[in-house]
Amino acid sequence: MLDARSFACLAAAALALAACSRSDNAAPRDSASVTVAGAHIAAPHAGAAGEWRLPAGDYASSRYSELDQVTPGNAKNLHAAWTFSTGVLRGHEGQPLVVDNTMYLVTPYPNVSYALDLTKEGQPLRWKVRPENSQVAVGIACCDVVNRGAAFDNGKIFYNLLDGHTIAVDVASGNVLWRTKMADMSRGETMTMAPLVAKGKVIVGSSGGEMGVRGWIAAIDESTGNEVWRAYNIGPDSDIKVGARFKPFYGSADTSKNQGATSWSGDTWKTGGAAVWGWLSYDPALNLVYHGTSNPGPWNGRQRPGDNKWSAAIIARDLDTGEMVWAFQPTPHDVWDYDAVNENILVDLPVSGRTRKALVHFDRNGFAYTMDRGTGEVILARPYVPMNWSTGVDLKTGRPVIAAGKATDQGVKVTNICPSLEGGKNQQPAAFSPVTGLFYVPTNNLCMDFEARDVTYVAGTPYIGGSAPEVAGPGGYRGEFIAWDATTGRKVWGIKEPYPVWGGALATKGGVVFYGTLDGWFKAVDARNGTLLWKFKVGSGVVGNPIAYTGPDGKEYVAVYSGIGGDMGLLIAGDVAANLPYDVRTRGSTLPDIARWTSWGGMLFVFSL
Amino acid sequence: MIPRSLRFGLMLGVAGVAGALVDQGITRISHAQEATRAALHLPTAPDSSQDLAARFIAHPEHLRPAQRPLRGVVLRNPYAGNASAIATGAKLFVAYNCMDCHGADGSGAMGPSLADGRWHFGGDDGEIFESIYQGRPDGMPAWGTLISPDQVWILAAYVKSLEKDANPTTENFTGQAEARMGH
Repeated sequence: MLDARSFACLAAAALALAACSRSDNAAPRDSASVTVAGAHIAAPHAGAAGEWRLPAGDYASSRYSELDQVTPGNAKNLHAAWTFSTGVLRGHEGQPLVVDNTMYLVTPYPNVSYALDLTKEGQPLRWKVRPENSQVAVGIACCDVVNRGAAFDNGKIFYNLLDGHTIAVDVASGNVLWRTKMADMSRGETMTMAPLVAKGKVIVGSSGGEMGVRGWIAAIDESTGNEVWRAYNIGPDSDIKVGARFKPFYGSADTSKNQGATSWSGDTWKTGGAAVWGWLSYDPALNLVYHGTSNPGPWNGRQRPGDNKWSAAIIARDLDTGEMVWAFQPTPHDVWDYDAVNENILVDLPVSGRTRKALVHFDRNGFAYTMDRGTGEVILARPYVPMNWSTGVDLKTGRPVIAAGKATDQGVKVTNICPSLEGGKNQQPAAFSPVTGLFYVPTNNLCMDFEARDVTYVAGTPYIGGSAPEVAGPGGYRGEFIAWDATTGRKVWGIKEPYPVWGGALATKGGVVFYGTLDGWFKAVDARNGTLLWKFKVGSGVVGNPIAYTGPDGKEYVAVYSGIGGDMGLLIAGDVAANLPYDVRTRGSTLPDIARWTSWGGMLFVFSL
Repeated sequence: MIPRSLRFGLMLGVAGVAGALVDQGITRISHAQEATRAALHLPTAPDSSQDLAARFIAHPEHLRPAQRPLRGVVLRNPYAGNASAIATGAKLFVAYNCMDCHGADGSGAMGPSLADGRWHFGGDDGEIFESIYQGRPDGMPAWGTLISPDQVWILAAYVKSLEKDANPTTENFTGQAEARMGH
C-alpha cells in the first residue's frame, strides 16, 4: 500500500530521509528562519546539568538538557552503551532519574524501583525496592499498568503505586520511609502519574477518568508522608478550594458560587471524572502548580448536561494551600474524551513584540494553546494536528467553536471525528529548546466514529458510556513528530510516522532532539530542520521519554525505556500487549499491523558516542 | 481449579446452584465443605481447621489439576448453548459494564480477552460462573453481591459463546503487504 511519494522516499532513503520526512504543509526552511530568539525556560534545570532529578528535568516541564556533546555532526556515531532489563513487560511510560551518579528506575506494576550504581562497570544495583502493591489494581487501571516515574528531592525519591499509595524511598539505603494511601481503588482510583516535589511538598493525583472517580490533587509533606492539603476538581467551592483568590480569565463576570457543582446536572459531579493523571509543572516565582484534569465521566454527555467544571481543564493552584487561582476549560462539556491532562510547559516567550510569561499546552482536542500562565488568558490557540471537530477557538470566550455535526450524542453514530479520543497527543510529553525556541511534539493522527450510550455507575467498574473505533487520519500516517513555534502557532517541520508517536521528546543544547516510536525505533533528529541523524531499533516499542545525563566518565549519555504498552499499546495494539503472555487477542483495528514490528519488552537502553 | 469451583458452588447454597446439574461424586462433598469452612475461617468441628487444610491440599488433583480427570461435582450451566439466554447475556454484558473492561464481543481491553480460548482462571462452566460471582484478585469485581445467580449463569453462557473462533495459534506475517505510511 505504498503511494508513489512514499515509494520514492524509500528508494532514496539512505540519502534523502530528511527531504521525505518534512510534512506537506511545512516547507523546509533554513536554520536561521525557524528559530525563535529570546525564549527562556521559566525554571532552572533541577540539580547539575548532567543530572535528571525531576520527571521533566525541571519544574517548567521543558525536557531540555544543557548537555551538548552530541551534535548533528556526530550523532551518527551514537551506539548502545549498556542496557538493563526491568523484569516487567508492561508499558514503560515515564523515564529514569539520574542523581549523583546513581540511576533510579520505576517499573510498571508491581512498581519495583532500582538504584543502579553508574560508577562501577556493569552498573550493579545499590538497592531494589519491591513495595507491597495490591494486585486488584491491575484490573482497576484503565489503560495498562503504567507508571510515569519518580521525582527526587533531599535524599529521597517519591513515586506512586498503582494501588493508590505514594511512597518515599531513602536513596542511601533503599528503605521505604513512608507509604501513604492517597487513592481509593474501591472508587476506581489508581495512581500512574509522576509526582512533582517542590518546597518540601510532594504533589500527586490519581487516574480513573473512565471509572467515574471524583478527581483531586493533593500535597504530601515530604518528611512525614502526611497529607497537607487535598483539592477536588469538581464539587462545591470549599472542596475545590475556590475562594477570594480565584479569578478565571474567562467568565469572571459569573461570580455564582459552587460552579464546580452547579455546572453539572444534579449530583452527576460526584462521579464526574476530572482526574489528575498527567504531568505537573510549577512556577517558583508565582508559587503556582499547574495541572490538567481528565475528561468528564461518563463520555455520554446526555448524562451530565452543563459545562462540567472543572473537568477537561487546565488549573493553576497555590503550592502552599492548593487554592485555585485560575482555571480554563479547553473543552467545556467535553463529549469526545478530550482530557486536558497533557503537560503545561512554562516558558517566557516573545509574542507580538512583548515577552509573555507563557504556558504552552498541546491539548488532546488538537489545539495548541499559548497562554498567560499568570492569568489563564489564551494568547493564541491553533490546530497542531489534522482536526475537524472544531473550526477554531474564540479568543473572546476561550471556547472552541464546534463544527456542525461533530458533537457526539447518545444513540447516534457520529462519524469521522478528528482527532480521535487519543487526542492530537496524549501522555507523551513534548520538549522545548531555548536554542531554537521551538517545541518538539510527539503527535497522533487518528480519527474516530463515536457512539455514546447510556451507562450505569457501578463503583469500581468502568463508567464510560460510549465506543469510538479509530482509523488513521488524513494522509494515512498515524503519527507525526513535529517542531512547533508557539509564538505564532505554526508547525515548522514534521516527521511522519506510521504509528502514533506515543513516546516523549528530549531536546538538548547540542542541537539534537530524541524520540522513540511504537514500532521500536529510537531516533536522533536535527532540532533545526528535523533531519534524521541516527536511529536504532530497540527491543520493543517506545512509549517512554528520553533523558540525558553525564556519566562518571564525563560523557553524555541518553537513556530511554523500551516496552510497548499504555493505552496505545495495551488497548489499541491488540495482541502485542495483551494482559498476559498466554492471551491471544485479535488485532485491534487501529494498529492491525504493528504486531509485525514489535513485541512486549521492558528494557532500559543507554546510548553514547 | 476444580476443587475451587466445587467448593464455591457449595458456598452459594441452594439458590446459587439451583440451576446447576450435579453429576456424581457425592462422597467428595464433605471434604469440600470442610475446606470451604477452613478457607473462610468459619467455625469447624470436630477437626481443627489446620488439619482440614492439610487434608484438602493433599489431594493430587488440587496440586495438579490438569493431571487427572475430575471425579466430583461438575457445575453445568443450565443455559449452555441456549440462544435466547446468550442474546440476553450479550445485553447484560453491556449493561453491567463488562464490555468496557473486556472489550466489545469480549475481545479484550483493560481486562483480559474472553474470546481467545485462553483462560486465566479456567474456562469450564463452573469456573466462569465462579469468576463472575466471586470476582478475581486482579480486579474482577464480585458480581455475586450485586446480581442474581441466574444472571451470572446467563452471562457465563454468553461468555462461553464467544470462544467459538478461538485460539489463533499462529500468525504468519509473510506474504502480506506492508501498509506503512510515513517512515
